[in-house]
Amino acid sequence: MPKWAMVIDLDKCTGCGDCMAACKVENNVAIVSPEQAEENRVMFWMDMMTIYEGEYPNIKVTRIPKPCYHCDNPPCIKVCPVHATYINPEGLVGQIYHRCIGCRYCMAACPYTAKVFNWYEPEWADEFKTCMNPDVSLRMKGVVEKCSFCAHRLQHVKEDADAEDRPINDGEYMPACAESCPADAIFFGDLENKESKVYKLSRSPRAFKELEDLGTEPKVIYLSKRE
Amino acid sequence: MEEKKKTTVDIDEALYRPIYETGKGFYITVGVLLMIILFAAFMYIRQVYYGLGVTGMNQPVTWGFYIVNFVFFIGISHAGTLISAILRLSKAEWRRPITRMAEVITAIVLAIGGLHPIIDLGRPDRVLNIFTAGRLQSPLLWDVTSITAYFTASTVYLYLPMIPDIAKLRDRGGKLRWFYDFLSWGWQGTEHQKKVLNRAINILMVMVIPIAVSVHTVISYIFSMTLQPGWHSTIFGPYFVVGAIFSGIAALLIVMIAFRKFFHLENYLKLIHFRYLSTLLLIMSLLWFYFTFSEYLTGIFGAEPHEMDVILYKMTGPYAIFFWGMVICNFIIPVIVLSFKKFKTIKGILFASITVVIGMWLERLNIVIPSLANPRLELSTGMYFPSLTEWSLFIGALAVFVLGYVLFSKFFPIISIWEIEEGREESIKEVEERVKSYLPGPAGTTE
Amino acid sequence: MEIKRRDFLKLLGSATGAVAVGTYGCHEIIDVPERLIELAKKGPGIETWKNTICGQCPAGCGIKIRLIDGIPVYLKGNPNYPVNRGGMCPSGHSALEVLFNPDRVKEPVKRIGLPGSGKWEKVGWEEALKIISGKLKELRNAGKTNQVAFINGSAQPGLMDKHISQFMKAFGSPNYFKLPSISNKTVPYKLMQGLDQIPSYDLLNTKYILSFGSNFLEEGYSPVYYTKIYSHLRELTGGGRAKLIQIDARMSLTAANADLWVPVKPGTYGALALGIAYVLIREELYDKEFVNKYSFGFNDWVDKKGMTHLGFKSNVISNYYPEQVSKITGVPAETILQIARDLGNNKPAVVLGDEGVVDNTNGTFSQMAVYSLNALLGNFEKDGGVYFVDDPPLADLPEVNEDEIAAKGNRQTPVAKSTDTDYPLTDFSIDAFTNNVLNDKPYPISVLFLYKGNPLFQSINHRDFSEALKKIPLVVSFDPFVTETSEYADLILPDHTFLEKWDEFYNTPSVGFAHVGIQQPIIDPLYNTKNTADVILELSNLIGQSVATALPFESYEKEIRFSTEKLYSSGEGAIITEGVKSSWLEYLQQRGWQIGRYNSFEEFWELLVKQGGWWNPIRTKKDYKDIFKTPSGKFEFYSQYFERVINKLIEKIGGESPENREKVLHSLNIMARGDKVFLPHHEPVPIDESMPLYLVTYKLLTNRDGQASNQPLMQEMFGYTVHEHWNTWAEINPETAQEYKIENDQFVWVESAIGSIKVRARLNPGIMKEVVAVPFGLGHTSYGRYAKGYGVNPYSILKSKYDMINGNQALQATKVKISSAT
Ligand SMILES: Nc1nc2c(c(=O)[nH]1)N[C@H]1C(S)=C(S)[C@@H](COP(=O)(O)OP(=O)(O)OC[C@H]3O[C@@H](n4cnc5c(=O)[nH]c(N)nc54)[C@H](O)[C@@H]3O)O[C@H]1N2
Ligand SMILES: Nc1nc2c(c(=O)[nH]1)N[C@H]1C(S)=C(S)[C@@H](COP(=O)(O)OP(=O)(O)OC[C@H]3O[C@@H](n4cnc5c(=O)[nH]c(N)nc54)[C@H](O)[C@@H]3O)O[C@H]1N2
Ligand code: SF4
Ligand code: SF4
Ligand code: SF4
Ligand code: SF4
Ligand code: SF4
Ligand SMILES: [Mo]
Repeated sequence: MPKWAMVIDLDKCTGCGDCMAACKVENNVAIVSPEQAEENRVMFWMDMMTIYEGEYPNIKVTRIPKPCYHCDNPPCIKVCPVHATYINPEGLVGQIYHRCIGCRYCMAACPYTAKVFNWYEPEWADEFKTCMNPDVSLRMKGVVEKCSFCAHRLQHVKEDADAEDRPINDGEYMPACAESCPADAIFFGDLENKESKVYKLSRSPRAFKELEDLGTEPKVIYLSKRE
Repeated sequence: MEEKKKTTVDIDEALYRPIYETGKGFYITVGVLLMIILFAAFMYIRQVYYGLGVTGMNQPVTWGFYIVNFVFFIGISHAGTLISAILRLSKAEWRRPITRMAEVITAIVLAIGGLHPIIDLGRPDRVLNIFTAGRLQSPLLWDVTSITAYFTASTVYLYLPMIPDIAKLRDRGGKLRWFYDFLSWGWQGTEHQKKVLNRAINILMVMVIPIAVSVHTVISYIFSMTLQPGWHSTIFGPYFVVGAIFSGIAALLIVMIAFRKFFHLENYLKLIHFRYLSTLLLIMSLLWFYFTFSEYLTGIFGAEPHEMDVILYKMTGPYAIFFWGMVICNFIIPVIVLSFKKFKTIKGILFASITVVIGMWLERLNIVIPSLANPRLELSTGMYFPSLTEWSLFIGALAVFVLGYVLFSKFFPIISIWEIEEGREESIKEVEERVKSYLPGPAGTTE
Repeated sequence: MEIKRRDFLKLLGSATGAVAVGTYGCHEIIDVPERLIELAKKGPGIETWKNTICGQCPAGCGIKIRLIDGIPVYLKGNPNYPVNRGGMCPSGHSALEVLFNPDRVKEPVKRIGLPGSGKWEKVGWEEALKIISGKLKELRNAGKTNQVAFINGSAQPGLMDKHISQFMKAFGSPNYFKLPSISNKTVPYKLMQGLDQIPSYDLLNTKYILSFGSNFLEEGYSPVYYTKIYSHLRELTGGGRAKLIQIDARMSLTAANADLWVPVKPGTYGALALGIAYVLIREELYDKEFVNKYSFGFNDWVDKKGMTHLGFKSNVISNYYPEQVSKITGVPAETILQIARDLGNNKPAVVLGDEGVVDNTNGTFSQMAVYSLNALLGNFEKDGGVYFVDDPPLADLPEVNEDEIAAKGNRQTPVAKSTDTDYPLTDFSIDAFTNNVLNDKPYPISVLFLYKGNPLFQSINHRDFSEALKKIPLVVSFDPFVTETSEYADLILPDHTFLEKWDEFYNTPSVGFAHVGIQQPIIDPLYNTKNTADVILELSNLIGQSVATALPFESYEKEIRFSTEKLYSSGEGAIITEGVKSSWLEYLQQRGWQIGRYNSFEEFWELLVKQGGWWNPIRTKKDYKDIFKTPSGKFEFYSQYFERVINKLIEKIGGESPENREKVLHSLNIMARGDKVFLPHHEPVPIDESMPLYLVTYKLLTNRDGQASNQPLMQEMFGYTVHEHWNTWAEINPETAQEYKIENDQFVWVESAIGSIKVRARLNPGIMKEVVAVPFGLGHTSYGRYAKGYGVNPYSILKSKYDMINGNQALQATKVKISSAT
């Protein structure tokens, strides 16, 4: 069984934010009204963290793109009362929008603040509704959502591979963010496959995971020379 | 029989009076409360229609007033059943006039508290998913289970001891005879019935204690089962239970003082009751402080950075006012007021009780919000301002409580009449015997 | 169109894609367009991909659009396109919000109210074109063809530029202008090297990059291209890894990614460059062979008349010693020494500085100073150095046979060229344009066309420019949206958005190889709009005569085909293909590379459109004589060309005399005198000393020139790094904030001599203490529901100051004060 994982090379990432935009477009993530945005209700499945260190003028800035870490031991799914967030055998942590009762317990339990909530019914101008990605179902008010590792793409890739009766190649299943990153800083693949790029990178001495001591076992691995 | 009844009626007429005399004040109170409740209901319907966006919650502060009030109200609910059960169990004779009041608090407040998680749901229309797709591993499901159990047990526990009194009301006749007839369950006061009733009460009171303890423990699990700083703590279970009893006693004291005043029950609720209860409150205050102190001391000593972030946020950040307010309300004021005889007047006790209730509400606020507002990763600190909807529902909940109480006291005696009677008739003797039985017998005799 | 195997499978019903729409029934929860529901019912859609060029900014990335049943639903970078190699920037990703924007102008409209009243009425294409061609014919008949002006806001070299230019030339007007300041920014290269082009830098082979405020990862001409290169550089570890030193007043995205950030006072980077030159010269770290053999004016020199002139070296040695430079720039002398030594000892090392930093009154000289460092390092045509890319072998449009009228018109002075001595080195200055139009100098303007630009929002002197617009009797905007500028137009003839139209672009400035990108319609036009290029063809046919014959094309698409025929026949380069994918770096080095084979032009064209572009990574190094087109044929530290320009200006006002010279220099705001004028030097910026802080404006990746403000995704992402959405903010150093008692997140007034803006303060340690930085892009007063009324425009408080030599707006020359606004 593959175990899908993402590696983000912070030494290459410039913090350009394209992953955030690509993700929003690919996954039909709603754009909240400006007033809502002001109230901290924007929805980014891929968010951006900024860290400033040092004393002026020797300031170091690190920008860290932050999707859902698809923890192998996810605290978020443990608390869900209705099985609306789950981990599948391939390690993807998913959300079932139609079952979620909107208690937001999973959000409170996620140590990485990876989830967002539909405070209102998502709205689009009629024109924009035309160009929704049909592979990704739209959400409704009152449910939680988050980065899915673009699971719908895996579905497509599997069909292709099945049709041709072959295993999925390394790099064939690529989430939108990884695909568009101008710095090629995002890698994606199967950790169980020792030949895969992510497997190799995950063993790099630069590799680290956020809050590793929590035992959540994130499957998003960062690479960085500075700690 | 006839004669005796008459005399008792006369003695306890004060307890019946509110049921038969309805003043203008009653209608005004009920009217005002209903208006508040209707407004709250309207705000809630509005929330269901538009979504949780009408609240002040956001990311990362995904829980707000609703969860705070949930924990708070459930805490208050420990006033009743638990206290009355403990007092009953320990055969504390002074309990007689206060058990019912306490139990009523529990029943009403539990209903209110239990609704809060549903109010908090983004999709209340899907609440049945909890049954169709429930996941027993989720602490939220444990809550559903234990609150349901507690609610059932405590309403039954409230109801059973009411039966003899309801029968009395039935026998007095009047407009609502059918109502009391129905509720009195054919009570005739026969020895057999009394025996059965006592048995049932005894069984329930033993059952209810662990359930009550479990309820608040499980509520604490909602938080402590996560990995979040400020939440992930093993003492949360007892800490929450102690807090709950603490706030419950305070709430009970407030209710007692209110009824004593409005219903002129000075004869029933005597200073001694307040003295005992407030001593209990003082003990709980110290216990609460002990737990709070341990909780924060371990956090500060461990100085795990994220834990420290939250602690500092509480103690020195935007929440400092609430944090220190909590300490003052829950510890400093009650300890000062309740340790000195000078302050330990009814007024003093009322004051201390009110501060404790506020303080415990602040404690819940301090637990829920700061942990959420301080994400572990490098994200900006959250902000939470409750919206009008949340305030309305909070005030609405309080109004439901008062209304529930007012209506209850309109239909039922607020003090258990038969238990008072029983006390007068039997317990003095019984207590004497019991006390004797505690004392050492003549030397050499063993049982 | 490529239909993937999977699509057939989908048709057989084995797919999950659109089934998801069906089974989860999203239409029950949210209103999914009927069309999509219909499609979902019919079963999964057919997926196709089309390649085109992103039109969100001049960087010209290749993109791939995913269409389901012909409706675009997603886009990503074209992995084969050599500029961006599959990468994109956030703004590119909101392209569908341009196409489907609800505020598009859906058909030609005529203004019926006062300018700015927002009242429009429909007017058919035919009638609109009749009005315009009527007016144009009238002017032609009256021999006043020069009264027509055309402003093109696109900074991207491409066929459209030639197309408009051809039209204007055949019509007979010298007044075709490009708003972007590229033409202004190339002035220093013209002065020192004789070339009018933005250089490219061979960053891949360099060891040390010294960037003077060139925010190439965020603002540069092609941020994605540079991000690709830069991230590749960072991947290389050990000794081979290039170091990046970023000099800027604030911690820009590039500075944040640099190895060292050197804060410098705005407007002083010329001095800093010369301070570094001082050390290079003193410590003999410069390329002596290059300087001695191929440069002019390094040492003191004697002219034909026997006069001794000041050389670069003496000037630098006597005026720019590190302590002095430190005083001017605020950079510690040790830092200057360190940078200079690293620069001299880590060859190849390259110096960047051709972008934002020139946006000041002293831009030209500062940029010359920076560029002279590349000369000291002998960086020309060297691996890891500086070079200029060749134009691709595209066919030129047929020679224009100007008729009498046109020839006369073309001989007139362009209206955007100053009639005085100002702006001697540019044909376009928005300032000169505005003044001249307002004063009918040298003649009035009767018709103005506006294409792809929003100068009213973009220029610093809003008020005068809008007056000028009001004065012009017929203003025609081709914008697909109602912008601040189009509010003043009499007619809006909406262009297609870039996803609906044909166009051809080539050689994005500063990208390191020749390339051509083909923009093709990926969907039929949604509304009754027309490609402006086709409108121009129609207009030229309506005018007839030699104007029509100058553009003998049935459609713009045909014109693009025509221009690419030479690309085919030249046999150079190749259509971009999968094969190029492996490693483009190896590719660049692989010289014995075979071009693709195409049996006919048709085949070539089809493949070109399908793949999205052409490129030629091979460039043979040039001889110095081919790259130094100066009077001396060498790199000129001392610009003889500039000397001639000044002399001509002196001629113009009455001939050589100390007074006249003084007058000219004074009008150009040049404080230096003597030989220094023609040498790179530091000109102090005339700032408002009464104000304590510098205002620095900059542009974000999420909002290119303010044009992405009508896209909700970009509005939401506007300040993604600081979590600021739909709003402008001001970055302030925490110490400065403390001094003014300002707290994070509170509102402040930023006040200049011109006006003030209210913005939220964000404390940021990554900014100089004497600087307030406000991002540009928001504060629209028009431009649709998503743009209007959000944020503020920092340009509204910029002083109307220019680099008097190249006409560039001085965007960093305003000082401000701040105060709490709560
Ligand atoms: N994101 C984005 N990218 C763009 C565009 C856009 O609108 N948005 N436009 C494109 C176009 S058309 C062009 S012409 C180019 C222009 O690209 P640039 O010319 O690079 O853009 P500016 O915003 O003018 O750059 C200003 C930068 O220089 C710094 N700076 C300002 N003054 C000084 C100074 O005196 N000294 C130093 N050391 N630094 C200073 C500012 O902090 C800022 O980082 O960008 C292109 N790329
Ligand atoms: N104060 C100040 N002024 C500046 C600058 C600055 O930094 N500060 N920068 C200068 C520079 S470098 C530049 S490049 C300019 C940029 O100035 P502009 O060229 O005005 O830049 P944008 O705001 O990007 O204008 C884009 C406009 O073109 C329209 N448009 C987009 N696509 C199409 C199309 O296909 N057809 C047509 N007809 N219209 C289209 C958009 O709707 C939008 O209205 O501003 C210059 N002016
Ligand atoms: S797209 Fe790539 S470079 Fe840009 S922020 Fe995301 S990971 Fe970093
Ligand atoms: S990052 Fe958070 S949401 Fe994602 S799997 Fe881990 S705990 Fe769950
Ligand atoms: S919000 Fe939804 S997914 Fe999250 S715990 Fe509640 S029901 Fe589960
Ligand atoms: S993996 Fe997919 S869903 Fe997750 S952040 Fe990337 S694009 Fe978004
Ligand atoms: S840099 Fe961004 S906006 Fe510009 S062309 Fe490339 S993808 Fe489009
Ligand atoms: Mo530009």
